[in-house]
Amino acid sequence: MRDVVITGIGSTTFAQHKARSIQSLAVEAASAAIERAGIDRSEIGALYLGNFIAGPLLGQEVLAGMIGDELGLTGIPCTKVEGACASGGIAFRHAVMAVASGSCNAAIVVGAEKMAHASGAAVTSALNCAMDNRSDGPSGLTFPGLFGLAWRVHAERYGTTRDDVSAVVMKNKENGLKNPLAQMGAMLTLDEIRHSAPIADPIQLYDCCPVSDGAAALVVVAADRARNASDLPIRVRAAVQSSGPARLAGHADLCNFKTTRLAAERAYSAAGITAADIDLAEIHDCFSMAEIIHCEDLGLVPRGEGAKWAAEGRTRVGGSMPINASGGLLSKGHPVGATGVGQLYEVVMQLRGKHPNQVKNARLGMTQNVGGAGVACTVSILERTDA
Amino acid sequence: MPDQTTVSAVKCAACGTLDAGPRDVCPKCYARQMQAVELPGSGKLVSWTMIRRPPAAFREDGAYAVAVVLLDSGLQVTGRMSQPGEQVKPGVRVHAGAKLRDTIVFDVEA
Repeated sequence: MRDVVITGIGSTTFAQHKARSIQSLAVEAASAAIERAGIDRSEIGALYLGNFIAGPLLGQEVLAGMIGDELGLTGIPCTKVEGACASGGIAFRHAVMAVASGSCNAAIVVGAEKMAHASGAAVTSALNCAMDNRSDGPSGLTFPGLFGLAWRVHAERYGTTRDDVSAVVMKNKENGLKNPLAQMGAMLTLDEIRHSAPIADPIQLYDCCPVSDGAAALVVVAADRARNASDLPIRVRAAVQSSGPARLAGHADLCNFKTTRLAAERAYSAAGITAADIDLAEIHDCFSMAEIIHCEDLGLVPRGEGAKWAAEGRTRVGGSMPINASGGLLSKGHPVGATGVGQLYEVVMQLRGKHPNQVKNARLGMTQNVGGAGVACTVSILERTDA
Repeated sequence: MPDQTTVSAVKCAACGTLDAGPRDVCPKCYARQMQAVELPGSGKLVSWTMIRRPPAAFREDGAYAVAVVLLDSGLQVTGRMSQPGEQVKPGVRVHAGAKLRDTIVFDVEA
């Protein structure tokens, strides 16, 4: 397998883009990525699109081909991949595999979603396509509910309190204020979070990511073809994917996703590193409790201490293990299919030393992107290799 | 005894493996002989949540509690719970009290 680097990157803001089409958002991000990729458009041999719910929310499929056509990438294989909220991370892995295998010398990954035009109930129903609708679905479970269930187990087992969890919310909302791409950064108090609307007890409004529109894109290139890139190429050390039960009750432990643990083990092994080597991570905080569980499953934080580490400031920028310096899904937003690609965009910016909320001396960065109730997970590790 | 019902599951006719299902192939021996079985609905509460923003299909239900229950047979299932309250902690005994459409409503035992 060949070494692969990320050269060009692009992203729209994550926001409510009610007046724009999903194609326009995708093409904005992808054009920016191609313009700075340092290769001719004709060298791009494949397009992978991460998108989840354009079918139910927009009545539009075949988006991969439509976006490829608008980008002038006519005739190449254009493929939409779907793995719920992990769609973007999965698209990235497929693009990396295409280049690493020699199938093509460059590939483009695009993630895009448009959701904010739909009603809350329609969005909840569309997101519920990510559930096992033969078993969990008929109970009326929702995704906030899933993390409400996990929260109660975490609280019972580790003594995690409302205010402990709020430390994650406050950190990510504050980080979002520094990120111009973020949908809703904020300075919040413990009291404001305590009094926000109940959604799926103990999950409250500020524990949930917003509903977002947006797109992000990356061009991945064989390392030996990246000489003309406009910006520092960032090496892909691992891009792995795992699968697990779609059914929530199929997880033996609601606070411990085997899907994430498998992906993390494979990623550390592929990169030849351990969790202690990671300088920063962008992880899938669709809900506050999700960040807590995922950072523990990734081995970045000791088991049971995800909230405590946030409360102690260890996961802030400047702490020993910065998590979601971008603001994460909670603050940056969660245009589902774009999210995993957006996480990689943020880590590339960090490793280039150009992030608006910069982690000092960042060399190794990780992203983790989870779909459904843990039915799919991707973990990627990127490295700055010039120093 | 209060009202009780059973929980539908599947069992492999070849090796006896139980699974919450639905599933056509045995996850242990891969035989294609999974058969429908009804299991006793008694078990232990793993966790519960109160759904206050239901999806469109459940809007008429208002707010409702969803629970994950570990049945005494070892299977873990998702269902509704009839008497939510902050005093209801993970670990309490529950049993399947009634069926509601395609799900089970679990009652907390006194």
